[in-house]
Amino acid sequence: MLEGSLENGSKVEEIPKEVVLKEEMNLQFGWYILIFIVNYYLSWLLAGFIFFSYFLIEFMPNFLQVTSFITLFTELKSILALLLMPLVIIACYVIRLIFVAITTRIFWRITERISPSKDGVIPRNIKSKAADYYHLRSFMLKYGKNLFIKGMFPWLSNWFFNFVGSSKIGKGTTLEESVASDKHLTVGKNTYMGVNATLASHLVQAIFGNIQYFRMQVGDNVTMAAMNQIGPGSEIMDGSYLLPLASTNRHSVLKGGHNYYFGIPLRKIFTKKTMNYLGITEEDLEKNENMEAYLEKIKANPSKKVKKVKKDQKKKIEPSKIITTEVVKEQQKDKIDVERLTKEDLAIDFTTSSAISRINIKFLMVYIPILWLAGLIISIFWYEYTKGVWDFSNQTSLINSIFNNISTIIFLPIAIFIMIYLFILGVLFFSKLLLIFINMIHLPKEGIFLAEVGNPDYDFWMFRTELKKIALWLLRNSPIPWADVVALKWFGVNMDSSSHLYDAWCDVDFVSIGRKVLIGQGSTIMSSMVIGKYLIIKRVIFDDYVMVGGHTTIAPGTIMGHDSVIGAISSTTYNRILDPNYIYFGIPAIPLKENKYAEERRDVVIKRLVDESKKMEETHEVNIDDNKKKFIKTGDDE
Amino acid sequence: MSIPNSMRVGPFLPTVLVKKKYLIFYILIIWLSAIPLFIEFWIYYRFVWTPIRPTFFFIYLPLLLLPMYLTLAFFGMFWAKFFIIFVNWLHKPCEGVFLRHPSDKDYRYWSLRNTIKRWPFWVCHRFPFPFLDNVCFKVFNVKTKFSNSLFEGWVDTEFISFGNNVVCGQGAIIQSSVIIGNLLIIRKTIIKDDVRIGSHAIVMPGTHIGNRSVLAANSVTTVGQVLKDDWIYVGIPCKEFKQNWFFEDGLEDKLGVVEDVDALLGKYAKIITKVRWTENLTLKERKSIKRQLKEEEERRWERSKKMDNEKREDIF
Repeated sequence: MLEGSLENGSKVEEIPKEVVLKEEMNLQFGWYILIFIVNYYLSWLLAGFIFFSYFLIEFMPNFLQVTSFITLFTELKSILALLLMPLVIIACYVIRLIFVAITTRIFWRITERISPSKDGVIPRNIKSKAADYYHLRSFMLKYGKNLFIKGMFPWLSNWFFNFVGSSKIGKGTTLEESVASDKHLTVGKNTYMGVNATLASHLVQAIFGNIQYFRMQVGDNVTMAAMNQIGPGSEIMDGSYLLPLASTNRHSVLKGGHNYYFGIPLRKIFTKKTMNYLGITEEDLEKNENMEAYLEKIKANPSKKVKKVKKDQKKKIEPSKIITTEVVKEQQKDKIDVERLTKEDLAIDFTTSSAISRINIKFLMVYIPILWLAGLIISIFWYEYTKGVWDFSNQTSLINSIFNNISTIIFLPIAIFIMIYLFILGVLFFSKLLLIFINMIHLPKEGIFLAEVGNPDYDFWMFRTELKKIALWLLRNSPIPWADVVALKWFGVNMDSSSHLYDAWCDVDFVSIGRKVLIGQGSTIMSSMVIGKYLIIKRVIFDDYVMVGGHTTIAPGTIMGHDSVIGAISSTTYNRILDPNYIYFGIPAIPLKENKYAEERRDVVIKRLVDESKKMEETHEVNIDDNKKKFIKTGDDE
Repeated sequence: MSIPNSMRVGPFLPTVLVKKKYLIFYILIIWLSAIPLFIEFWIYYRFVWTPIRPTFFFIYLPLLLLPMYLTLAFFGMFWAKFFIIFVNWLHKPCEGVFLRHPSDKDYRYWSLRNTIKRWPFWVCHRFPFPFLDNVCFKVFNVKTKFSNSLFEGWVDTEFISFGNNVVCGQGAIIQSSVIIGNLLIIRKTIIKDDVRIGSHAIVMPGTHIGNRSVLAANSVTTVGQVLKDDWIYVGIPCKEFKQNWFFEDGLEDKLGVVEDVDALLGKYAKIITKVRWTENLTLKERKSIKRQLKEEEERRWERSKKMDNEKREDIF
């Protein structure tokens, strides 16, 4: 890895300074796999050993091999074996989590020693050690993060981040699940980050652009309601309250102090608007600001205050009668003459969704053979693997038998890994077979169809969707989620394997993706959309080196030219064409500027003071290896 | 197609844990719901296991795993429901604005309810088919139909009711409780028939969405907002965009593409962006400008009145 970069460096030196380098990023998959295997292996080893010894020593003889159903509940030994089993499983699970945290911490420390993570812009068009180690670190954190935050005990995730050292999280803080908010953060006490609220300490600007990597500062008692996207380098001071979807660019400074923020990009909103948006009274606002004083008041005379508040609430909240009256009116309405509708009325100039998880039970029956056949493969594998263990009871002593089966225990994590992927491959294979069969009956095609049961295009679209979903779902929840490229390619996405979209929701029909495309976290790429009664299917095309920001919605028929970028939380409309080499942003996307990150100065950082609505320029050192600093344009050149 | 691993969707149960002792309930539910699994496994083992050549044991093992998973889910639901009834008997969940502080009873119980419900919802949502989710919603008194697809979005598990054929987009959030600052706002959200919520849209607590309405992608409603029937809503916060004619018959050939992109952008700009002051003015200055404008308008009004009167006098 090091040699490769040096070689490139020596070649590059001959190029004059005016030419801008555009090297493609290559990820060190060798290192990734090594780290993953060590992490995975160690995590299963002790947990697997404890579980199996309990299973073989306690559970098998005392519970499974008891012949009569009644003695199961009368004998103390068998009852204990049964009752302890779930607790043993929970304990093994927690042990596994702890081991994942320890190995991640060790690797994290090693990489920090070689190339410490520091604030700064990492150029993405020049290969460098800093960029390599940045990618390596984000990879190694991801497995642990997903395991903790999506697992049975999400409450342990704060401990995980603190223990690994990726970010500092204060006491009493709740971080809900989100696509980012994992590294390079400092979060204060008693804050609440709502669902999918992303504290992105890293931000990619175009394929041949920069990675913005700056520490995020979040103060005490900050709340983010949901889906807030905060750029790197932002400082959110104590007591800033963000309403849903309030998002901001990088290097924003929020002053806080019981202020409310709303919008994209977020702005401070004042009392009247806050009350309007949140449906609360001035009394509530007062309560929010001086909570301590209010609590003391309640303590002084508890009963009266509480009752009063409740009465107010009851008055406020009455199911609105407006709707019910409107419904009655609606039913009396006559049918509208379709011919009279204008072009503008029928233009699809907004974007909805294509999620359909409603499906005929008949179709679901298809799964049983698929799952069974795939399960049979691993069943056979498991039988072969544990052949020696099953005649355990015939062996003479415990220690002897464990010693005999030591190879079974040592290779257990690898066996589990193989079993997971054998199962997924089986499901993939059988669903693909079925898909070929279905496509022979009805060829998928683009167009506008009636979205009603009975329309063959709609029915088969739903069926295809449902059929592809299961294999993809399994792959994406497996230890290596980026392996889903295989499934996507099998199921008919026309893509290059150098592109990544494992962090995005993507339709698996009529999507073409070029080389090195980066699809942001949590974005949605739809080649199908249901509007009212109609299903629209149209091909989505991404050319080479396209970037899509996080939480962005791409509507069917969108075509993105090469090197174009669409920012975070934007959306395109039906049949939109985005020009190559341009940056787009907004709802719907508007062209912002040309994509020239590689040519621009990189040491300038623009700070945004949200409360004063002012902008400030600051300079910051670029984070790149010393021998490559000459390729980068900075202030000294001018 | 499938929601990515890194993105959290599905039934929304905030991980706020006010007191650590609530975890006892959680572990108790896991424990109680896991025990029937092993009894099931015992029965299977008794019937199918042959020590010499356990062929059938391994052939039918994959088929056993499905009912075992369902058993786990249903027993999880049963015990969680049992505890929820008990907890609701202690303190009835109610709507309103509460303090986000451990001394507030409603906040504490809100957190406790979420902790109890977490296990069944987690198990049901890990199941790749959506119908278990719907069952779970119904068990915990969320009014919904099996025709709804809420699987790819994120839906709160109390104070919420759905009509028929509701589709919640990918990564959309439908809330009935939200934490803002030191306040916890709980309001009942009502969503009627044939509503389509775009991807990444957010429905705040207390929203009423009428029949056949559309909330477009990346839009937000405000607390207590009422969305009319048959309209398409866009914006942050959302506003009326145009009437929803897309439920009429015979439009296959007529559905149009946006031809003039600039005009569309202008239309959106009106909805989404507001009049912004170009210069950096303070609040006082803005207010004074507004006042001046108002006064001017009043003066004009009076002048026109005078003109009218003069004209009348002329005529008479």
